[in-house]
This record gives sequence, structure tokens and C-alpha cells, in this order.
Amino acid sequence: MSDKALELYIRPEFESGELGAATDVDVERELSLWEKFSNINAVRKFSILLGLVALWQFYTWYSNVEPLLFPSFFFSLETLWKTILSGEMFEKIGITIYVLLMGYAAGLAFAALFLIFAVSSRIGSDFLSTMTAMFQPLPAISLLPLAMLWFGLGIPALVFVTIHSVLWAVSLSTHVGFMSVSETLRMVGRNYGLKGIPYILKILVPAAFGSILTGLKIGWAFAWRTLIGAELVFGAAAGNGGLGWMIFEKGDNLDTEYVFAALFMVIVIGLLVENVIFRSVEIRTLQKWGMQR
Amino acid sequence: MASEGVVSLNVRPEFENPAVEEAVVGDIERRLSLWERISNMDPVRKLSVLLLLIVSWELYTQIGDINELMFPTFSATAKALVSAFVNEGLLQNVWNSLRLLIVGYCIGIGIAAVLVVLGVWTRFGGDLLTTLTAMLNPLPAIALLPLAMLWFGLGEEAIIFTLLHSIIWPVALNTHAGFQAVSETLRMVGRNYGLSGLSYIFKILVPAAFPAILTGLRIGWAFAWRTLIAAELVFGGQVMDTSGGLGAEGSNAGGLGWIIFANQMENQTPYVFAGLFTVIIVGILIENGIFRNIEDRTIRKWGMQKA
Repeated sequence: MSDKALELYIRPEFESGELGAATDVDVERELSLWEKFSNINAVRKFSILLGLVALWQFYTWYSNVEPLLFPSFFFSLETLWKTILSGEMFEKIGITIYVLLMGYAAGLAFAALFLIFAVSSRIGSDFLSTMTAMFQPLPAISLLPLAMLWFGLGIPALVFVTIHSVLWAVSLSTHVGFMSVSETLRMVGRNYGLKGIPYILKILVPAAFGSILTGLKIGWAFAWRTLIGAELVFGAAAGNGGLGWMIFEKGDNLDTEYVFAALFMVIVIGLLVENVIFRSVEIRTLQKWGMQR
Repeated sequence: MASEGVVSLNVRPEFENPAVEEAVVGDIERRLSLWERISNMDPVRKLSVLLLLIVSWELYTQIGDINELMFPTFSATAKALVSAFVNEGLLQNVWNSLRLLIVGYCIGIGIAAVLVVLGVWTRFGGDLLTTLTAMLNPLPAIALLPLAMLWFGLGEEAIIFTLLHSIIWPVALNTHAGFQAVSETLRMVGRNYGLSGLSYIFKILVPAAFPAILTGLRIGWAFAWRTLIAAELVFGGQVMDTSGGLGAEGSNAGGLGWIIFANQMENQTPYVFAGLFTVIIVGILIENGIFRNIEDRTIRKWGMQKA
């Protein structure tokens, strides 16, 4: 021990006074109907949605806003219904989804090619990481002027920018996922004599599926934003444009209720893709495999 | 084993290996050759990939006799980039874009912070936040630009409004998700210290959920950058003061996206490429200079993220 004395602070002992006897309290009690009701998540969220809609509606009624500037909720809804009935809406959605699917699929195919190249050789890996580092920070839409120059005004230019927005996000995320696959799993694969494509598909892809799915989601988000933005510019090639074009054209014509109708559809499609498609893929893969809680 | 079920085992026949060839002692230890040592350096390999790309671009455009208007050579692009920076005040355009981005980003984060604080404070706030983010996050911000131009007029307010929209939802969504994933132990530590309200949020929730917050900030920046460039491209000179025209030096010179758009309209393709390069450079600087730095000083230092 050193010669420095240790000083301990010792708290003086004390006795606590008498505790008051517990008065009658509800130890167990049925929740009231209101409490039970408001404990349901869906009910609360739905009523918030209703509240927002009501606010919107009352605001437009009472403040006498010009419908050209801010149409009421029901007017927008009515317009949405009208465009759905007349088939105009689905025609626009069809065009947008067609371009989106083409771009997304082609982007994924390119990403797969790059990744196979990257996994099988070091130079491929360097190539991929240099390309992603360069192109990932470049907003795809800024290539639109060039795409219009190279491919003319039309669907190919839209597909080109969509590919660009998907390709780098997916490759980056998947590549990072592949690199972090544990050595044990790799050795299992090598033990089975897997090589080349079967090695990628049977070992790397399932092991890195979490980051692949993240990449796919980010790629979708970028592609959706890029496509709507690109359509705002010139979706109207050959006389029929997609949703983005509808927003732009109706906005220019001061048909604001149509803009809102188109925005509703953009939200609905976004929700469908994110909560139905990606969610169910997630449930069937990551959650089933126990990789995500 | 249970006697009822008959278990058939596949017994592999035994076999004897033929004589294994004698092992030859190879190089057990050997100095790497100079070439191997150089090619083991990461930056060298990546730089040569970049050089190779540039050389093939230059050769393709020179030998393939490509029209300069369609696809300029690398040297023409580099020349345009230098002259744009030196003679035509491209830095001013960059600054015009960045200024809007910074204003939008700061206000957006402020609003997101208020929403998230409300969201952890009360159940109603949480519900409001989740409903709003679920609805508005899938909506591309750029789609609101036509409306914003209607409401706020043609000008910076319209752009800032769309930027806000592109920042608030990803930031709020990620932060809220991060807060909800903070472990009960840490929360109890906070309550034990008697923290409540704002000090509870800033001393317990924010540090614990910092990786998620940083992810949100990054996604918000990526969306905002894309939205800004898109807005300048699509609505050309409508939403920004571009009265100075190409090569103007001042706040009326327009932003980076507008420069790309305007140069394309004037068939100055090398300048379009120069604009794209600048967009890439700014993006890399912000990603690696700012976010990477914050990451190093926070979550990496705190041991919340490896490598």
C-alpha cells in the first residue's frame, strides 16, 4: 500500500420514518372503452389522417383560397376518381411504371454484371469501387441533358437516367455486403467446391441479402425520384407522358386539382412498392431466415 | 436408437489412397517483386483504373471521330472545366447552389428535430410523425415543385420549400426509428439520473441513436442534392436568379444545375461535362469531407461502427 491514506466517506445511518399505509389504489382495473379504443394503433393513425384531411377541407372552405392555388380535398379526390374512371390516370401510371420497370431491370442486370466481374477479380473490384465512388454522388437527373442529346427525346433517354440511378446504389450496397460476408461462410462454400456463379448465388447472395435488399430499396427510391423528375422535363414524347408529365402539364395549366390527384397516385404507388413489395420480400427472406428481427 | 423405425445408413465403402506424390518444397518465404508491391497499393490500382478510363475515353473520341457536340474528348472537357473555373466564375454557380442547399438543410433539420422531439414526447406526436413520414416519404420532392412555384412564386422560396420536403422526412424517419431502437437499459440509466424532457433526449437518445441519425442526415443530403440539381435543370432559369446569363459573376449567375442545362441548350457539350464533373466533385467533397469526418469523430470514436 502507498503511504497515502484512503479516506472513505461513510454515510451516517438513519432510520426512515413510518411509511403511511397504502390507501386503496386500483391495482387492477378494466380499461375504459375509450382507453381500449385509443390503444389500437390503426385507429389512432387513421384518425390523424382524418384530422389532417378535415383540416385541409375546412381551411379551403373557410379561407376562400382560390381553387387554382389550393383545391379542396374533396375536389382533388373527385378529380382523382374522374381520371381513374376515364382511364387517363391508369394510362399515365402505365407509362411511368413501364419506363421504371425497364430501367430498374436493366440497372439490376448491369449491376449484376459489374458485381460478378468484381467478385471474380481484384481489378474488377477496383473498377467497380472507382466507378461507384465517382457516379454515386452524381445525381442521375443531371445526365438527362446528355441523354437527350444521345438518345433523343423519348423513352430511351428516360430509361438511361433510370438505369444510372439504380445501378450505382445497388452495386455499392451489394459490393459492401459481399465484402463483409464472414470468412467462415466463404470457407463453407469453398469446401463444397463452389466456384464462380454458383459460389456467388449460393454463398454470397444469401449471406449479404440484407445489404442487397437495402441497395434495392435505395435504388428504387432514387429511380422513382429521378423518373418523376425526368418526366417533369419532357415526359411527353410521342404525345403521351407519365405521371410526372401530368404533374407538370396540369400545373402549368393551373389545373391544380389534377396535380393533387397525380400526387395522390405517386404517394399510393410509393406506399405500395415500399410496404407491399419490399415488405413481403423482407418477410419471406430476411425475417424468415432470422437475419432481421 | 428406437427399434421401430428402420434407419438405413449409407456406409461409404472404404478405399485406400494411392501413393501421394512427394511434396516439393516451394517458395515458403519470398520477397514480393516490385510490381507486386506496387500493385498491392490500393490508391495505385484505383488511380490506374481511372487513368485507363480517361485514356480510353480520349482514344475513343479521337479515333472514333465522334462529333464534339455529342461526346467531347476528355482534353476538351478538362480545358472547359479549367476555363469555367478560371474565367467564367463557376465557383459562383457552385456557391449559389450550395447556399440554397445549406439554408434548406438547416431549416429542414430544425423542423425534423421539432417533429421528432414531439414524437418521443407524446403518443399523439409519435402517431402524427409516423403517419406523416409514411405518407410523404415516398413522394419525390421534385413533384411538389410545380405546386411550390404556384404558391411561393418563381424564386428561391419555391426551391427551398421542395428542399425542405426532401430533407425532413428521411431525417425524421431515421431519427425516430433510431430513438425507438435505443435499448431499455440505456433509457433506464437516463431515468436513474433523473433526466427528462430535452436533456433526456440529448444526453441519452441522441448519442445512442447517432448512427441512425447520421444515416438519416446522409440520405437527406443525397435527396436534397438530387432535388436541387433536378429543380435547377427542369425549371432552368425560372426558380433561380439567372438574369446574369452564362458566365455571370454574382448571385444572378444561377446554380450548377442551370449551368448544365443552359450549356446543353447552347450546344456547349464540353461545358456540360465540366458541370457534371463539378457536381461529382462537390458530392465527393461533402460525402468524404464532411460526413466521413463526423463519422470518424463520433460513431467510430465511440466504437459504434467498425472499420
